Amino acid sequence: MKRLLAVIISIIFLSSPVKAETIRLLMETVPDTKYIQELLPEFEKQTGIKVEMEVISYNDMHAKLIPQLLSAKGSYDGIVVDFYWVGEFIKAGWLMPLDDLVQRDKFNTSVYVPKLTDLVGKVDGVQYMLPFYNYSMAVIYRKDLLEDPKEQAAFKAKYGIDLKVPTDWDEYWKQVEFFTRDTDNDGKKDLYGTVIQGQRGDCVSMQWANFLYGMGGRFQDKDWNPTINSDAGIKAMEAYREAVVKFSPPGSESFCFDEAANVMAQGKAYSLQTFNIMFAGFDDPESSKVVGKVGITSNPGGGLNGGWGWAIPNSSQNKEAVWKFYQWVESYEIAKKRALLGGAPTQTRIFTDPDVIAKRPYYPILGEILAGSQDFPVFTYTTELVEKMGLEFNLAATGEKEPKAALDAANAAYRKLLIKDGKISE
Amino acid sequence: MNTRAASGLERGDRRFGLMLTAPGLAVLFLVIIFPLLFALITSFFDYTLINPNHDTFVGLDNYQEVLDEEYILTSLWVTLKFVLASVMIEFAIGFSVALALNSVTRFKNFYYLILLAPLLINPVVVGLLWRMILHTELGIANYAISLMNIDPVNWLGNANAAFWTVVMVDIWHQFSFMAILLLAGLASLPREPYEAARVDGASSFSCFIHITLPLMRPVIIVALLLRFVFAIKTFDIVFIMTKGGPGTATDIISYFIYRAAFFGLDIGRASAMSIALLLIVLALTIYLYRYMTSLR
Amino acid sequence: MSEITLRNVSKIYGSDDAAVNNINLDIKDGEFMVLLGPSGCGKSTTLRMIAGLESITAGDIFIDGKLINDIDPAERDLAIVFQNYALYPHMNVAANLAFGLKLRKVPKDQIESRILKTANTLGISELLTRRPRELSGGQQQRVALGRAMVREPVAFLFDEPLSNLDAKLRATMRTELVKLHNDLGTTIIHVTHDQVEAMTMGDRICIMRKGIIEQVGKPLEVYRNPANIFVAGFLASPPMNLIEGSFEQEGDSLKIEVSGITLTIPAHFANAYGNVHSRKDVILGIRPEDIYTDSNDGRYTCMETQVVAVEALGPETIMVVKLPGGKEISARLDRSFRAPIGSALKLYADIERMHLFDPETEKAIVAR
Repeated sequence: MKRLLAVIISIIFLSSPVKAETIRLLMETVPDTKYIQELLPEFEKQTGIKVEMEVISYNDMHAKLIPQLLSAKGSYDGIVVDFYWVGEFIKAGWLMPLDDLVQRDKFNTSVYVPKLTDLVGKVDGVQYMLPFYNYSMAVIYRKDLLEDPKEQAAFKAKYGIDLKVPTDWDEYWKQVEFFTRDTDNDGKKDLYGTVIQGQRGDCVSMQWANFLYGMGGRFQDKDWNPTINSDAGIKAMEAYREAVVKFSPPGSESFCFDEAANVMAQGKAYSLQTFNIMFAGFDDPESSKVVGKVGITSNPGGGLNGGWGWAIPNSSQNKEAVWKFYQWVESYEIAKKRALLGGAPTQTRIFTDPDVIAKRPYYPILGEILAGSQDFPVFTYTTELVEKMGLEFNLAATGEKEPKAALDAANAAYRKLLIKDGKISE
Repeated sequence: MNTRAASGLERGDRRFGLMLTAPGLAVLFLVIIFPLLFALITSFFDYTLINPNHDTFVGLDNYQEVLDEEYILTSLWVTLKFVLASVMIEFAIGFSVALALNSVTRFKNFYYLILLAPLLINPVVVGLLWRMILHTELGIANYAISLMNIDPVNWLGNANAAFWTVVMVDIWHQFSFMAILLLAGLASLPREPYEAARVDGASSFSCFIHITLPLMRPVIIVALLLRFVFAIKTFDIVFIMTKGGPGTATDIISYFIYRAAFFGLDIGRASAMSIALLLIVLALTIYLYRYMTSLR
Repeated sequence: MSEITLRNVSKIYGSDDAAVNNINLDIKDGEFMVLLGPSGCGKSTTLRMIAGLESITAGDIFIDGKLINDIDPAERDLAIVFQNYALYPHMNVAANLAFGLKLRKVPKDQIESRILKTANTLGISELLTRRPRELSGGQQQRVALGRAMVREPVAFLFDEPLSNLDAKLRATMRTELVKLHNDLGTTIIHVTHDQVEAMTMGDRICIMRKGIIEQVGKPLEVYRNPANIFVAGFLASPPMNLIEGSFEQEGDSLKIEVSGITLTIPAHFANAYGNVHSRKDVILGIRPEDIYTDSNDGRYTCMETQVVAVEALGPETIMVVKLPGGKEISARLDRSFRAPIGSALKLYADIERMHLFDPETEKAIVAR
């Protein structure tokens, strides 16, 4: 009897910790992280689980994650995964399949926009992640200029078509050309049709993808044969170079997201291809001079689909508690609260929720943008591809290399990586 | 003196010294020798982040791959140019500042503070700061030069300008290291030879050439070599400001290696590059040291 | 060959008291002038002003009648030997010697012959290829001297060049420097705090204190007639005994009462001092070498003393004794003389050689 009691007591003590549990997550410094931090007290009150978030910049994330993922006991119980890394992380076997948990707790994964489930949810039918937020790329434009009757008349006179929210690439590109001008006649351009973010690497690769989609091009065919140097690709690169030379501020070969967005926020550009999550910033009087003057629409031909997913690394030491947190944070209630704060939704119903629309009328457009977005290559070596392509695209953007030569090199690099990954054979 | 007793004492001293240094040597082994050996071994294996094991020996394949890299020579050339430009200019500015400060008597601490301020800033912050300042449309650099009726400069978008911009930012960030080191050297120079030289008929200029420079030689050599080695390791400024671009204009070798490791996930290849770089730097350092100490 | 003249020269650092205060000095062509004084007396500052290493706050310095206040040290054509030699550490001995000549664009072959000649004179020919740190102190000293000599300057400035040498070497170098001076005949200004150097080397000594010149004169002249209490107490070792006392008029004879002893001043002496007895207080100075153990047939004045300390130096015995009034004085006695400490001792002072000083002005009361 006494022994039994001792066993029971020790089981109680070992299995159910008396003290509050703590989980650690590595997060990126983006608005969506901030919104969750605001809501965290609710979760901690409900479950008694304390959530510690280490929030760092994107630049440092990958290098910081890898050692933790490699070790048997990592210091992060939960992580967020950029779609760039999905192929690599799955290939390395760092992420834990979530299907058992999903089934056990009857977590409904059909609520997500299918495009995002494909991007940062399931890989080859296995649920590794839950889509956290989407950063699909869109065109942000100056509504005030577009709706100005004088501009509309001048545009019509020049091009013979109406000035309206653009739906195809040619129309958009005419607007870009049209609005690039010297408004105060001092001999210097002070309004640019678009802002290129041409910095070598990530920045140029992501933006150029939108040009490629706009021309109807793709990175590869359905059998993974690379098609970067297709005619559409070359046209896209020529347009990109044209934009650098004519329609974008000098120096945009070295811009990234923030520099480009700043030009737009200062009212010096008509449009900007960027992540949908940047949009809210243009309505913030503290950082923007164009409050109330901007609209958002799909990139003609579709913008780049981007997103982050929640995942539990195999090295996690607190899988159940993290899963509990994910269920909470991805519940309809919390997902909606995040959207109300300005978050970029991943669940279909949020885009059309009346409360959300009441507060943020453009959310249905975000839903359309996401639905029409195009996929970027996701495979084991996405990050390396981005770097290799990014160099060639940048060389073409600065005029150091002819578009064709640059794209041939990028295509060859892509092919090499695909072969290395076993996607195609030599 | 009784030599036998002395050597006994010496033995004791040596043992005590060994005891004192043992923990330090152990730490040194752990933090320097061990990673070095690890990198050396890894460079002969197909060791990737996807499959982090020393289970596939590939001999010199990684080194061959490095040689086959399309832009590796460009990167080495950029690195060499960058190191020479930044170290030489830093030396020139640092020495001038050190000479100026050495003769200053008032507000010395104030000048030190100003001088040291950039050095205390994290290089990542330095990069971000200068990116803002150098924004072609919105930065204050182009605004400032527009007031002087100079055309705006495409600081980071033009290949040539970007290289010199990165050099300039690195100089801004690091020259005070050189200045402080040289200043410490100047402050420790004996005063008397200068007085002797002045009475001997030397002008300020010949004092500098015939007294200051030769006496400062050991300090100068150390300062140059230290900065030389540090400059080869420059990473953050390029990573933050240009990502090696535009094109390959600022693609210094440390970022090249970083890409192999963290984007290419290929630690074996990155290790091969690191080892090769280490050998090059070692050879260069030895050569430079010999060269500079042999100068009369 | 040159004359160096200082006219009302002062040096003031910041807001401090003057380091050198309005001094006047004429150094004759070819003279060996010693600037003597305790540390901080301004002697080095004076030398450095002459060299041009310090600016002159006020006054003028002339070399051969030419005002040099604003002339660069390089153009004054003086050579200086520093206390710590100040050799160029990165140059070998030959280069050290050649440096000044090269700067003056002396032809190469001439430089070589002058270096060899100087090195021979100083016995450092073997050292020409060595670096200063490989030399002993004495060798460095010679090199420093050589560096000055090889330039054949108009005058040498020595800034305590012997004070870093050991006693034996210092004595040798003293005579060598004097010899050198005799051979070259160049004007030398030699700064020292060592009064033996001053006495043995200088044609004249200039004794300084607190930035002013106390007395200038030939060594023995200064020794015989110190101008004031400071000079009296500074020169010679042990220095002159200085005893406070007062005059007593007893009938026709003048007496001085010092520390319990009454000295009768000889009549001819008293007359020479004229109305000196109108003063009450006086300081009496008597050199230890003017005190004897015998009375010289009663010509010397007897003093009842008590032995305090005996310093048997070998060549002589310095006896420190206490006068009845408690004042301690020293006496330089025969080397064989001994007396137990505490014993009573009769000593005899040669009053004829006494000095009198005014306690207020500290100046010597000069016999007429």
